[in-house]
Amino acid sequence: MSKWLIAGIAALLGAAMVFAAAPSPDDTGVMVITARHVKTPPAGIDDLAWQGLASVQIPVAGRLEMADVKGTVSTKALFSDDELYFLLSWEDPTCSTIKESWQFEGGKWVHLKGDEDRIALLFEIDRINQFSSKSCTVVCHSPADLPRSQWKLATRSPSEKGDLWHWKAARSAPYRHADDGWLTVAGTPSGSYRETGRRYDAGGGGDIKNETPDGARPLYMQDPARKPSAPGFLLLEEAVPIKDYSIFEAGDVISYRLPVKPVGSRFDVKADSQYADGRWTVMLHRKLNTGQEDDVVFDVRRRFSFAIAVFDDSGADHSKATRSLVLIFKR
Amino acid sequence: MTEAQSETTEQEPLFAAAGGGLAILLKVEVPADAICWHRFFGAMQLALLCLLFLSGGLMAFAYTPVPGTAYDSVDYFQFSLPLGNVVRGLHHYAWNLLLIVMGLHLLRALILGAYKAPRQIVWISGVAFFLVIPLFIITGDLLPWDQKGYWSTQVRFSIIASIPVVGDFLVQLFRGGSLTGIVALTRLYVLHILLLPCALVLLIGLHLYFLATRGISGPLSDDEIPRPKALFMPTIVNRWLALFILTAIGMGLVAWHWPAALGDPADPTDSAFIPRPEWWVLFLNQLVAIFKGPFMVLGSAIIPGGLVFLLGALPFLDRSPERRPSKRMGVMVAAAVVLAAVTVLSVMGYVEHFVRPEH
Repeated sequence: MSKWLIAGIAALLGAAMVFAAAPSPDDTGVMVITARHVKTPPAGIDDLAWQGLASVQIPVAGRLEMADVKGTVSTKALFSDDELYFLLSWEDPTCSTIKESWQFEGGKWVHLKGDEDRIALLFEIDRINQFSSKSCTVVCHSPADLPRSQWKLATRSPSEKGDLWHWKAARSAPYRHADDGWLTVAGTPSGSYRETGRRYDAGGGGDIKNETPDGARPLYMQDPARKPSAPGFLLLEEAVPIKDYSIFEAGDVISYRLPVKPVGSRFDVKADSQYADGRWTVMLHRKLNTGQEDDVVFDVRRRFSFAIAVFDDSGADHSKATRSLVLIFKR
Repeated sequence: MTEAQSETTEQEPLFAAAGGGLAILLKVEVPADAICWHRFFGAMQLALLCLLFLSGGLMAFAYTPVPGTAYDSVDYFQFSLPLGNVVRGLHHYAWNLLLIVMGLHLLRALILGAYKAPRQIVWISGVAFFLVIPLFIITGDLLPWDQKGYWSTQVRFSIIASIPVVGDFLVQLFRGGSLTGIVALTRLYVLHILLLPCALVLLIGLHLYFLATRGISGPLSDDEIPRPKALFMPTIVNRWLALFILTAIGMGLVAWHWPAALGDPADPTDSAFIPRPEWWVLFLNQLVAIFKGPFMVLGSAIIPGGLVFLLGALPFLDRSPERRPSKRMGVMVAAAVVLAAVTVLSVMGYVEHFVRPEH
């Protein structure tokens, strides 16, 4: 009898500990993305490590005049001992990488219509007030009492800092990375970029506009002596100034935005991307701890609020964004 | 007389008193089964309370009772300080386990009739723990200033407010205003780390004193075989220390492996957040859900309060000296009915809030 009693008590205490230890599902329906541990990190989009992993279908929706635009981002996450990997896939009927490229037409250079597809992830480096409950509305649409034209992507105080990973189909994909920036309060109102709270991570990269000082035609072309390392794109390091414009024929296209080789912390987030069957699939990965102040440190014991925004052939406005998301790590 | 000599002379009576007390304790004999492999719930409760005091004291060094900053300080303690996650985990698991052990301790005493004369006062002081310990959990829940703690506290305030006559006054007393903010956080913090610990230490002292003077319950057997005795010091104390160390190591390992959860920071404007009740209040929550509107007070105060009152009054309701459960069928059946009701309500609450949370 006493043996059964002891066994029962031990089982009850054990069950109590397990019950207390079990993470309860989130109370608000906040979507939780669980990064699973792998010994061998995935080498790419098609790596077997992704195949056994269930994806989370994260709903994304437009806002205001784009409120009826909806979709999902299929998301998977893995982590190795020192890196975090995301596999993001979303439907997009058109592969947009034009980014206003030049086209020689009728004896003059004109910009093609079209922008680029993008996806951006925002994490907290230092806690952003209400980000975990209200997602990027607290940084994207602020201050809320001002007209939309005056909204800034910024935090509300200098103590709040975000980590922004920005994959761009035309400007960062050729270098297989996502532009790594960070978010703080809005800066001085001189220059469209500085008006926002977006800052580049330390290092270099980004892109330059390929145009002559009068803005009438491209300034650079592919160096004929070099084989393009990213076919379809003109990288600044592979470009040479155009000396003779007569060599171009009607219909010739030259990139308008030339990606600059990224270096330093701005090159922390590596990316592989693929457009197929009306879908983008992008794998992003970064060290759990880059050692840089402008990057979030992924301590695998913690949970991280984050948000995703998907841009369809868009240079400015959101196409669709998620509600609050949470990333957790499980071994 | 030099200063040093004077100090020594003043200290001597203290040392003498301490030495005398120790000498007495070294001679005290208690039943050998006071702490043994089949009787350890009370000792474990004390071990868990000590762990709660220790871990809570350590956390207080880093804690800042200011909305927003409170969350950051807990986050900092748990993730940035060495062993912070273990200490906070110990605190988390200790109170969960404490509730279980308290329940088992009470159940054992009830089944074995340990509340019978002359130990009525031991029983009553033991039941009083069930009034104090939940207050610790309720006041501690808000301290991390996370979503769950904040909105659980809001729900509790609304339940307290439903108590006729004193409800609103009590809420005002805890909250100190119309909103749950810095005043509420400060008041609950002071209650959690100062007033309630004082009350608890007093209660522990009383319970142990009554236990020492009224004795611990003996075996159910009618045989008049003298119970084996053991020295309180060092035998019983060493057993308790062993239990304390084992409990601390066991829970430390659990806390290391499965750190206590820290949810998202509280957002008082996010009224969409609906907190899920803790496992130990599932039955109370269900009671409140059953009795709605003007009858809410039945579920929130009258039934639970009445049950605690009946529990406390048990030694005076069942006054026969008979301790064998088979001869106390009335009490056993009543206890089984209450236990079944609590279990059924808890399961209903679990299903409603965790299995199919329609909200």
